[in-house]
Amino acid sequence: MDNMNLGANLGGIYLDNNATTQIDPQVVEAMQPYLSVYFGNASSQHGFGVPVEKAITKAREQVADFLGAEYPDEIIFTSCATESDNTALWSALWSQKGKNEIVTTPVEHPAILQTCDFLSSHGAKINYLHVSNHGDLDLNEFESLLNERTALASVMWANNETGNIYPVEKLAEIAYNHGVMFHTDAVQAVAKIPVDLKKTKINMLSFSGHKIHAPKGVGVLYVRRGTRFVPFMKGGHQERGRRAGTENVPYIVGLGVACELAKKNLETVSTRVKALRDKLEKGILSSIPECFVTGDEAVRTDNTLNVAFKFVEGEAILLMLNEYGIAASSGSACSSESLEPSHVMRAMNVPFSAAHGTIRFSLSRFTTEEEIDKTLQVLPSIIENLRNLSPYWKQGKPQIQGLDHDFDADSKEVRA
Amino acid sequence: MWDYSDKVKDHFLHPRNARVIEDANAVGDVGSIICGDALRLMLKIDPTTEVIEDAAFQTYGCGSAIASSSALTEMLKGKTLKEAEKITNQEIVDYLGGLPPEKMHCSVMGREALDAAIANYHGLSYENSHDDGELVCHCFGVGVNKIKKAVWENHLTTVEEVTNYTKAGGGCGSCKMRIEEIIDEVWVDLEKCGVPRPGHVPTPIPSITITTSTAPNTGFSSISTVTSATAASSSVQASIDEKTVNSPIYKDVKEILETITKGFTDGSKVELVSINGASVTVKLEGNIATNPMMKDMTVGFVKQKLSDGTGRAIDLIVK
Repeated sequence: MDNMNLGANLGGIYLDNNATTQIDPQVVEAMQPYLSVYFGNASSQHGFGVPVEKAITKAREQVADFLGAEYPDEIIFTSCATESDNTALWSALWSQKGKNEIVTTPVEHPAILQTCDFLSSHGAKINYLHVSNHGDLDLNEFESLLNERTALASVMWANNETGNIYPVEKLAEIAYNHGVMFHTDAVQAVAKIPVDLKKTKINMLSFSGHKIHAPKGVGVLYVRRGTRFVPFMKGGHQERGRRAGTENVPYIVGLGVACELAKKNLETVSTRVKALRDKLEKGILSSIPECFVTGDEAVRTDNTLNVAFKFVEGEAILLMLNEYGIAASSGSACSSESLEPSHVMRAMNVPFSAAHGTIRFSLSRFTTEEEIDKTLQVLPSIIENLRNLSPYWKQGKPQIQGLDHDFDADSKEVRA
Repeated sequence: MWDYSDKVKDHFLHPRNARVIEDANAVGDVGSIICGDALRLMLKIDPTTEVIEDAAFQTYGCGSAIASSSALTEMLKGKTLKEAEKITNQEIVDYLGGLPPEKMHCSVMGREALDAAIANYHGLSYENSHDDGELVCHCFGVGVNKIKKAVWENHLTTVEEVTNYTKAGGGCGSCKMRIEEIIDEVWVDLEKCGVPRPGHVPTPIPSITITTSTAPNTGFSSISTVTSATAASSSVQASIDEKTVNSPIYKDVKEILETITKGFTDGSKVELVSINGASVTVKLEGNIATNPMMKDMTVGFVKQKLSDGTGRAIDLIVK
């Protein structure tokens, strides 16, 4: 195993499925003909277009069925969930005259937060909800932020870092009662929890293929019939004029199959994958001192575990794990683009002393018990070794005379 | 993925001298758990020869922080204090076969720990033995002197590089303008020392004539830019009363109005006259002042922008 050249069947243990997932071989197989034989354009009026158009129709039905959408035409294929999120925010502001406010949370994905930032510098007013130390929202606060100028309320269904599941069905109901459009970024929720959109008041929903064992480069925006809508991408009449650009046929076909497989495997996630996640969690908490689970343990996706290891820095843990070919991710500053720990940890007021040492393990239906056992076998010594290097680890505290201060490992300080 | 050299990986996976020297007589502590990295450097120095007999570290931080600490202790062993004092952060980087740009601050932290340990050896505390100067980056507590030193020693030219070396500007980003000024200031001196500034084209400010400035004309192009920029801001401030300048919303209002003015393509201008509490008086120039419809639209727009930007209900008065 070359730990700097890992992939499916190249060894290595992939516990970073909230970042992206392995493409299911059945998905690849279904895509093949549309990468070779069926190259036609779905908009063409000749025999080359027919099989392609049929394939897209079938995929649309598969996705609609997966989401519990009432009509297949409520499904719009996009290039990724980021595009879907951008479209939802953009459309809500452009399609509703006199409404310029958006209600959202500080723990959203950058696809929402950065877009909101941009929109706010162009006149939109963004109202952020608060989250508790466990990342939970206050429904009353949500309701209090809705008014006649609110164009859209957008709340993620599940959080990518903690796995926290948000009560979007209830939130959508509240928004509906106030005449406010509701969007949810469901990237981390679909394929992990059952979704039945026709029973909800959700107007728009985004998700992407590559988080559910389809390839990158394809996403979905669900738009409920009757929802005011303006396209984000303008051009041809594809997707009933709601998303211009020639359809990415092989990927759409792949996404359709991935959705069908995801629906079949929902129970696997809630039973077998959950059991593995719980085993990993119990194993870590019982063998490693001074660590805790972040987020809301009671309400989170079954595949996600986010643990904060005190006194050690996340990137160092990831590097050590990678030596064993184990892949996870961290909310620490050093492993991100910025020098700050993740915005999710900061929004939840996780002290910086712990936020720098957060590691997210995210499993999938391809994760095996053997892989979890191997991880549990190496992790305690990794943490112990790094702690032995750390000046904050009390056991190894030096007895140096005349030192006028010491590192405060228990600092609860949070920078402004 | 991490772009670490083999040497960095080696020092991270097999750190040298990662232990406690119980009878160390020079200890340097830098960083904090809040900032995400911290280093304790322990040295045992022979008081008669001032030779570093032993060096060890404890580090909380990422892979490159641990590798930089490990490398530093290896470099220090056997050196005299005088020799050790001359070690620069770049030498730590070179020893490791390079560091990714965004990890340069790890080598700076090593250099700082060395300063702190030497101060401790002389019976001084690091805080008292060096002067941070004006606090520039409030997020990471970085002072002007640290930034100047990093720019001076490593010939940094951009804010991004300063962030990579010192972390300054890596949080909220509100100090980036100030960092730009500091870079310019240091480069004036560097150019005096004969270091050419790479790719620097000074921004001309045509409306200001340098002859009014009392600064000596040393013939360096960047000086004229800096001087004229200062002159520009002071000349603007001269026409605004003290109450306005001291208003808590002055900076925001000034910035917003400047941004709006920049947005006009027809040469129109919105100029700040005064601020009194939440009431802002402005002067309009150009098309937006003469065309009644444009004027109405502009006034509404400016009022909205100012209210949004300052978080107050702004009362806009047009002079």
